[in-house]
Amino acid sequence: MEPRCKRRKASECETLPWDVSPVLSDEQSQDTVLLEAYAAPIINKKETSRLVKELASVYPLPGVQHIKRVRACKDSGSLHPLEVIVCLVRDVQPTNDSTELSISTLLPSKRVDSRGLGEPFLVKIPAHPPLTRPQFEQASKHWPTSFHEDKRVTVALKGQLFTADQKVKMHKFMMAAVTAAKAGRLLGLDAVGAVIVDPQSERILATGHDCRGGTNPLHHAVMVCIDLVAQGQGGGAYTFNRYPNCRFSALTSSPHQSSGVISPSVDLDQAEQSCVPYICTGYDLYVTREPCVMCAMALVHSRISRVFYGATSEDGALGTKYKIHVQKDLNHHFEVAEMKPLPAETIRLLSS
Amino acid sequence: MGTESEENPADSIDSFQPSPEEIEHWMQKAFDVAKEALKNGEVPVGCLMVYNNEVLGRGRNEVNETKNATRHAEMVALDQVLQWCQQENRDSKGVFKETVLYVTVEPCIMCAGALRLLHIPLVVYGCGNERFGGCGSVLNVPADQLPRTGAPFKFISGFKSEEAVELLKSFYKQENPNAPKPKTRKD
Ligand SMILES: [Zn+2]
Ligand SMILES: [Zn+2]
Repeated sequence: MEPRCKRRKASECETLPWDVSPVLSDEQSQDTVLLEAYAAPIINKKETSRLVKELASVYPLPGVQHIKRVRACKDSGSLHPLEVIVCLVRDVQPTNDSTELSISTLLPSKRVDSRGLGEPFLVKIPAHPPLTRPQFEQASKHWPTSFHEDKRVTVALKGQLFTADQKVKMHKFMMAAVTAAKAGRLLGLDAVGAVIVDPQSERILATGHDCRGGTNPLHHAVMVCIDLVAQGQGGGAYTFNRYPNCRFSALTSSPHQSSGVISPSVDLDQAEQSCVPYICTGYDLYVTREPCVMCAMALVHSRISRVFYGATSEDGALGTKYKIHVQKDLNHHFEVAEMKPLPAETIRLLSS
Repeated sequence: MGTESEENPADSIDSFQPSPEEIEHWMQKAFDVAKEALKNGEVPVGCLMVYNNEVLGRGRNEVNETKNATRHAEMVALDQVLQWCQQENRDSKGVFKETVLYVTVEPCIMCAGALRLLHIPLVVYGCGNERFGGCGSVLNVPADQLPRTGAPFKFISGFKSEEAVELLKSFYKQENPNAPKPKTRKD
């Protein structure tokens, strides 16, 4: 994805050095895949609706329902203003090389009256329904399709999902993660930092850095933060007392909270309905580096709401190697955005 | 694999191929843990980390008591191995490389990642986990190309899978949405 900064006003870029780009699913970000089909000109316009009906009964075009059967002919000077998809190439038996392709070889004469149809020709049509506006625009160059636009994705792709005000806050949270990473580095640990934020109250609930240099090789910054949130909710499995920069804010009693403690048997749905804070439901994570597969799945289990990361990583699981946040079959999905430039550059920018 | 040497990972993995009797023995014990969990109203998943014929970790799900959704049986057991290494002043890296995980349900994607990161060579599991499974069901983390995420590991699936499914089904009757969705696999 090209940097959005170029398109923004220079002044805006100077004050907000982040370029926030969504990490979309493969389906949303792939180029148009094409499929071969036979189309034919409609010579007699009056036959159009009958032809479409009969063609649809013989060749219903399974799997490509997004394709519009008839298109207005591109060439305005054409004698035939309309063209229709007859069938997909994969729908018909491969024809003998000696026989010329003709409308009669494609259509069983008993079921389709081919009056009004011209001779068929090969076209390439989009194989999948477009999910984003760029995909829709690309697909339309080949053959018209329907498009159910997700406005949020369109806005996100234009780099306009967040207001300047929101970006200032996002900047503050990412900088808190950068600060934690630097603190970890001072202790000789890997420079990865993270914060978990409640976007409702705009409070940082947990701050952590990579702690693998200690006793537990699984204490990646994300895992540390998840446990710190649990500690803030009266749970938790570890103590990070050795690391003053790994800390949590205890939940102050909110109006929704009755006892402040959820019973051990309470299940997720109940908890969500009753507004009792439950694991990371509704929270955002800011992390300086793209999480690994363990951490990414830990975020699914924790029901995180959104993840913002700085640098990508080689085995990253939120865009690079996997896209766990949009992985099919998983029961929780979340939004992910990359915040560029890299934290190191940002530090320099801001400290200069 | 390249030239043969004492450190050839393939050799070390092969030497951790437990006999059918051993698998039977340890899986039975893992099931005991799962049944205990069920009695306590927890997700009936149990696991053992076995090193040199000794159980170093024995885990069941601790999500509810810790309010930490990552406290799966495997993560709990891995922590116990780490503790043991600390107490015994042993290098955990060396120990994990020779430790087999026996677990009643396929490890999830997160746990599979953790097992890779720690260089566990072999996992034996009961039924598959359609909802979260990271060893073949949803993803295949142990086999994927992840050079920065520890080492690939082998797994043996489908051991006593019917029994594992039955356990989960009896838990389902309480309709807990956090439970893994079982899938019988015989391969
Ligand atoms: Zn990680
Ligand atoms: Zn797991």
